[in-house]
Amino acid sequence: MTNALTVSGLTKTYPDFVLDQVSFSVPSGSIVGLIGENGAGKSTTINAALGLIQKEAGQVSIFGKEGLNDDTKEEIGVVFDGSNYPEILSPRKLNGVMKNIYRSWDETAYFHLLKQFSLPPDKPLKQFSKGMKMKLAISVALSHHSKLLILDEATSGLDPVIRDDILDMLLDFVQEEDHSILVSSHITSDLEKIADYIVFIHAGKVVFSKPKDELVEQYGILKCGAAQFDALDKADIIVYRKMDYEWQVLVADREKMQKKYPKAMVVPATIDEIMLLYVKGEK
Amino acid sequence: MKGVLLKDLYIARSNILVTAVSLVVLGFGLSFLLETSALLVLAPVASTTAVFISITSDAASKWNKNVITMPVSRGQIIGEKFVFYILLAVLGLITALLPCLALGFFGAVITIPSLCLYGAIGISATLLAGGISLPCAYLFDPEKSQIVFMMSFMASTGIIVGIVLLINLFIPVKENILLAFNIVLAISALWFFVSYRVAVKVYQKRDIT
Repeated sequence: MTNALTVSGLTKTYPDFVLDQVSFSVPSGSIVGLIGENGAGKSTTINAALGLIQKEAGQVSIFGKEGLNDDTKEEIGVVFDGSNYPEILSPRKLNGVMKNIYRSWDETAYFHLLKQFSLPPDKPLKQFSKGMKMKLAISVALSHHSKLLILDEATSGLDPVIRDDILDMLLDFVQEEDHSILVSSHITSDLEKIADYIVFIHAGKVVFSKPKDELVEQYGILKCGAAQFDALDKADIIVYRKMDYEWQVLVADREKMQKKYPKAMVVPATIDEIMLLYVKGEK
Repeated sequence: MKGVLLKDLYIARSNILVTAVSLVVLGFGLSFLLETSALLVLAPVASTTAVFISITSDAASKWNKNVITMPVSRGQIIGEKFVFYILLAVLGLITALLPCLALGFFGAVITIPSLCLYGAIGISATLLAGGISLPCAYLFDPEKSQIVFMMSFMASTGIIVGIVLLINLFIPVKENILLAFNIVLAISALWFFVSYRVAVKVYQKRDIT
């Protein structure tokens, strides 16, 4: 399987934060969810991959080519949190701007998407709601025959109905086998619905990069008391957290753990719970 | 670059129209007090304010972060603002010529040397000011760059006086006033070009977030 995007050893140092040797890939035809708490390094990773910030070390390869040239940028659609278009413009004026920026700009597809999302073409963006602005940004990203969509917190602050519309659109986009999506979000429930792979970043480092099905179907939380916890084989513990009345232990294979520790309760873990245990738990 | 320029024209359209109408009205108004061609000193400088409206709008909407992900290079982003600045200055100059031509048609004394002199002063001041303020717009935050923008016009006047005094050491300016201000214009154009190169170089290394 070829990769639409490969990030390896990406490093960037700020006075109070270090993005440390981040590596992951986005296989063609898949949706990769980049998760992590606020300030974990998701946006810094995306900004460095897109050349918005200067990286200190590491390589970024898009469609097998290192570096971003204009031809590669033609095939990438990027959506940030917020529309990032001048508010004085209307979607129709934006069409005029974009058709002079993208060689592959598809005016028909753009106006079709505006109609599909019920976006008024002549209304200035300053009169748009946040959801409308986001739909417009996605319409722009999809109107120049992009093969890779990169969305940075694009669903943050939107109501569940609009989020669901956007997720449906992303699923439609990835039906083409050479289309791929990298989507960063701290709303893990969205990613649970659409992502094929999950990359978890914490404190500037990739904690894991795994297929979502493996996380959802195999990972589990073993809940036990203090005595049971002491008796656990330490090799079975990924991370653990002491709660008020129990110990919660993240395990990689819940069925195996249930057989090994029949007296303990092992329950499936959501991505949210896995993230919480990694962030707040101990090793 | 064409798309980005179009975006700036959309943003600054109303400001450009107001400036153009004001210049024409001012041109006719000035004719009762002094030589109408003196408007050519003010017109290019006044017209370029629209560039800073577009820079402020870009900062407010975080457009610069967005446009870098499009097939537009950092050099083109900066180059477009410099081109937009020159286009507006030329537009201002042409607008200011309209009342001059109209009044000339009705018998007012407007000479080509005076048009050339005032035009050279106006364009020199505009290029010197732009050479200071445009790179600063990408170095500082919008509030600071607006202060630099206002200061740059004062600074350009001082620089022009300085250059003229310097020229006067070699050529008597009073007898060769047009030549002296053409030298000022050439120096200003060179300054503007150097400023553009510096701005591109600085922007290439800048983190955009």
